[in-house]
Amino acid sequence: MYDGEFAAVVGPSGCGKTTLLNILAGLLPYRHGTVQVDGVPVKGPGSDRGVVFQEHAILPWRTVARNIGHGLELQGVPRQERRRRVREFVELVGLAGFEERYPHELSGGMKQRVALARTLCANPVIMLMDEPFAAVDAQTRITLQEELNRIAIATRKTILLVTHNVDEAAFLGDRCFVFTRRPGRLKATVTIHIPRDRRIWKEVVADPAFTARRDEILELVRAEVRVE
Amino acid sequence: MSSISVARPDLLRSARARRFWRHGGLELALVTLLALALWTAISASIARPDRYLPSPVSVLDSSRDLLWKGILPNYLGQTLWRLVTGSLIGIALGIPFGILVGLNRTVSEMCYPILNFFQSISGIALLPIVMIWWGTTEKTVFVVVLYTCFFPIAFNVLTGVRSTPRIYVNALRTLGASRLRIVRDVLLPGAMPSIATGARLSIGYAWRAVIAGEMLAGRRGIGWMIFSAQQVDRTAQVVLGMALIGVLWILLDRYVLRPIESDTIQRWGLVQR
Repeated sequence: MYDGEFAAVVGPSGCGKTTLLNILAGLLPYRHGTVQVDGVPVKGPGSDRGVVFQEHAILPWRTVARNIGHGLELQGVPRQERRRRVREFVELVGLAGFEERYPHELSGGMKQRVALARTLCANPVIMLMDEPFAAVDAQTRITLQEELNRIAIATRKTILLVTHNVDEAAFLGDRCFVFTRRPGRLKATVTIHIPRDRRIWKEVVADPAFTARRDEILELVRAEVRVE
Repeated sequence: MSSISVARPDLLRSARARRFWRHGGLELALVTLLALALWTAISASIARPDRYLPSPVSVLDSSRDLLWKGILPNYLGQTLWRLVTGSLIGIALGIPFGILVGLNRTVSEMCYPILNFFQSISGIALLPIVMIWWGTTEKTVFVVVLYTCFFPIAFNVLTGVRSTPRIYVNALRTLGASRLRIVRDVLLPGAMPSIATGARLSIGYAWRAVIAGEMLAGRRGIGWMIFSAQQVDRTAQVVLGMALIGVLWILLDRYVLRPIESDTIQRWGLVQR
């Protein structure tokens, strides 16, 4: 992956997408091949690779602000600086006014925003996302996808997103890696040539540059499911 | 709110009274009266009630005697002191033990049956062997109370640590947390509700252990009072001791232990999960 790229990994369920992400995160050991971040091989989890999990995974006993600042706290960033950075990311994900709330007082979509802000606030080299919007309702998902796109532009972060949702992959990805069914291997790479700032659902659904690519990915994935 | 209650203490008192009645106080008062009436009736219907079951009034009468001489407060203090020291130290040892064991799956699976084994041996079943070691001393009572507390709390903390979702641990690892920070930021708070429940359970067991310990190995204290009163046929004093044990426990549970437990669980937002 290159700097500032948004890559999406799509494939049929059970093809090992999450496994791949966990390996990249350093949560699982790998047997073959190498994983490197800026030329340094991965040995276990580290703050250079931030992860947003499928089930938000924010701590229920910490307030929104304390969850978002957790990474900085672990890095030993002084309180003043921490407060400033947390404030910045609270606003970026649109949670201003909810800083002192506890996760159980928030909706599913808001919890996922907290998780996103927590990962970004720790300022990783790359952000790994594992089906981050799988657990929220369809309307919220669309909003969150557009916001993630906006945040990706604003932070210029390198992002790798794992999903089984073809629309999501095509909407967000600069490149989409399509995986075969189990045992998952890379089947094809589809490049989406739409400028990031023009990616708004209302517009892309009418844009052949989007629909043609999306249908191409959809066919590739469906071919894998059909073989069974 | 607070300025009003400072200015007019009667308002505070009435607010507190209202809260008491609303939170099951009425039911408590009713059932107490009913129990006392039943007790009086049984006592009146049997032959030689002073020997077998003295009425509440004569029990109260005997307590007035003990109160006068300052014996009862002294015994009460003794018993509570034994409970507090034994259970606090037992809990203070049990919590880190449970966490340490809970850190590793293999270790926790090895320790699980051991903890379960000792949890089944109640304090009173342990008393004889401890009395062989240290005789009828203060040490014996202390050790039995501590032992009784240690296992339930350690057991609960272990379960709490093990049942904290792995995803929280993984999230912290990817944020770059050390093992120690994971314990501090995830496992300890994650086990908090179990710790609160375990502490309440532990103190409940310890309360029984204190009384049992005092009966067999103590000097002074409520348990000792009951036991020695029985030997000189002072049934009223035996019944008084029993009633005190029950009433004290209800107060302790209602005003100290239960609020701590429900506060933790609520604050953690775990009610709805």
